[in-house]
Amino acid sequence: MSSPNSHSKPDLDETINVTEAHGRVTSESAACEREKRLADSGRESVPLWVITACGVVLLIAGGVLGNAGTLLSYDSTFRKDYVRGLAPGGAETGPEAKIALVAFSAKGSKIYSAKCNGCHGSDGKGDGVNYPSLAGSSFVIEENQKFAMIILNGIQGPISNGKTYGAGIMPAQGAGMTPEDLAGVMTYVRNSFGNSTGDVVSVEMAKNAIDLSASREKAGQSVTADEIRSAHSTKLPGEEMLPDTMVNPANLTLVK
Amino acid sequence: MSSEVSQNLEQDAVLRASIDRSLRHPVMFFLTSGAAWLAVSIILGMISSAKVHSPDFLDSCGWLTYGRTQAAHINALIYGWGFQAAFGVIIWLLSRLSRQECRAAGLILAAGHVWNLGVFVGILGILAGFGTGMPWMEFPSFCWPVMLLSYFAIMVWSLVQFKVRPEGHVYISQWYLMAAMIWFPWVFITANVLLHVIPGNPVMAAGINAWYKSSLLFLFFTPVALGTAFYLVPKVSGRPIHSYSLAQLGFWSLAVIMPWAGMQKLTGAPIPYFLPYLGATATILFFIPALTAAVSILRTAIADPEIASHSPTLRFTMAGIVGLVVMAVAAVFLNIPGKTLELSQFSMSGYGFEILALYGFFSFVMFGAIYFIVPRITRREWLSRRLIKWHFFLSTYGVSLIALVAIFGGLQQGIGQEAFDQPWSEASQRAFPYAVLITFIWFFIMLSNIFFFMHLTVMWLRLGRRSTHPTLLVSDHHGSPHGEDGDIDNAGSMTASAH
Repeated sequence: MSSPNSHSKPDLDETINVTEAHGRVTSESAACEREKRLADSGRESVPLWVITACGVVLLIAGGVLGNAGTLLSYDSTFRKDYVRGLAPGGAETGPEAKIALVAFSAKGSKIYSAKCNGCHGSDGKGDGVNYPSLAGSSFVIEENQKFAMIILNGIQGPISNGKTYGAGIMPAQGAGMTPEDLAGVMTYVRNSFGNSTGDVVSVEMAKNAIDLSASREKAGQSVTADEIRSAHSTKLPGEEMLPDTMVNPANLTLVK
Repeated sequence: MSSEVSQNLEQDAVLRASIDRSLRHPVMFFLTSGAAWLAVSIILGMISSAKVHSPDFLDSCGWLTYGRTQAAHINALIYGWGFQAAFGVIIWLLSRLSRQECRAAGLILAAGHVWNLGVFVGILGILAGFGTGMPWMEFPSFCWPVMLLSYFAIMVWSLVQFKVRPEGHVYISQWYLMAAMIWFPWVFITANVLLHVIPGNPVMAAGINAWYKSSLLFLFFTPVALGTAFYLVPKVSGRPIHSYSLAQLGFWSLAVIMPWAGMQKLTGAPIPYFLPYLGATATILFFIPALTAAVSILRTAIADPEIASHSPTLRFTMAGIVGLVVMAVAAVFLNIPGKTLELSQFSMSGYGFEILALYGFFSFVMFGAIYFIVPRITRREWLSRRLIKWHFFLSTYGVSLIALVAIFGGLQQGIGQEAFDQPWSEASQRAFPYAVLITFIWFFIMLSNIFFFMHLTVMWLRLGRRSTHPTLLVSDHHGSPHGEDGDIDNAGSMTASAH
């Protein structure tokens, strides 16, 4: 389509602007040319390869759906055997290992809450009248056999500072205490409330303490300050455990 | 040519011109502001991708952390660009297909501003830290009723036009577009009410969220793009749809299969366990509606290879449909439980698939539609075929690379994540090179869309070429390939009101 006025001017009245009218015809035919009119729809059949490809995908999808268990069963929320097995070469390693001082103290703090808290208080300071403070007590922080004997048998009469508190007796706490419990609570008290011996009472030491306590001359009676000083001023026998050894926090055994 | 036919043609042209004129302002508003949001989204995407491999980048800026920019990126892409492009294209196509002028352009334009305000407040809310943390629904929860109302105000007029259309055949594009218009409010209301208004079990909430994402892709963006392609390709090539029965099979399989998809993202979560498997099955079956639609569209388009390569509309639309085929193959490949589903569940692969769907398929068809619609409603031709070519090549190579790199990089990352006795950082290290590449490629896509946005803005300002010849992508020419320039607006009093 060339310039609007070059040829074939329409034969029209003079009142009509020929340039304008022809321009309109040009633009409309251009617009019409751009709008394609389609009367019919294609009637080609579906190609075979499309049917085949869709069939393959249907098979894959069917396989996936076949694994879906009972359809519309809203009660089964886990697939059987869904939980993954161990990795090849992986073994059950139990809970994460912790250093001994932390693990023993954590165990001991539970025992303390159950057995000691009532009298000595959650801050270990007692009340100064009926119950003595555990902080800085020499029987607590000196050789660990002294502390073990008091916990297991109780104590009567004056204590390490020569004073007598309340009725003058602490009942025995040893009943039902396992070596792990005793080791934990001793480690906890010796490293809390301002005490900081920095060492761990091992489970083996605690076991020996229970044996020693049972073989005392006056087994079954409370100890006295004199007996502590004369018979138990030594360290508990048994292998020591360094405070930074890695142990299993559940059963306080060594982690290799 | 008899005078009756020529009179019909003229009436036809007048009707088309009046439809185009009635929709000029709302359509141009949706397309241009959509393109602006696309640019914003890509910049946010670059920042969030950079954070994957260089966490120190912009680390002094609290509102540009990964969790916020990634969410803002994908939400700007969906609600800022995707929906607005869809609005512009749907209202124009349905007016043309129902042969009705739009009588509510002012209201649609106003509702479009409200929608934009909703998106703007939502993005600011995400960046300020008020996001909800639900993928694709991160906008603060007060946004959704506003967006829903403006959606109805924009879309209801097309339903009215359909109702009062001249009697006759309902074309496949109308099926797709009307279905998308009705499915979206169903999906949007269901998800938002169940998550924001009457929240239930939080595990099931994650499942509803995954279904929402999948439904938005397969029940809104897919039918909108397919309906558009089924209109554009026969219009430009001048040939009827290759196989209309195949096209109908595509529509009905999409309608029946896709609402089931989505929950495969929760495989292994404590929800009724047939749901993830059903979701995986439906997503794999997306191959059937996708392939049938793609075959009938592509066969129509390549019937005339010259038109297919010269027309910007056809080129973009065909690239988008090729993107759909790749997406359909990826849907099969990425969703096989026990093999690839675990690897794509928590890795970059999911993102790669989403970008492939939103950009490689949907956006390309929208670009094709924009290159078709804008000259008709502005009565100006595109200024520069070079800008169109750059837009096409940078976008095509860019999105192919991003999809490829993110999907395969994500599988590598997934293998790292599955090795659960190894430190998590090893999974990140596996993803590192792919993340660097993605940032780099986003840069080129951003460049291509800056060209596009500039070009579109120039058209909006009616600074396009005044010509009766469309801008085609031909290069071997002497002088202008578009023929002589003429001023189509000087065509007399009949078109003077187009100003």
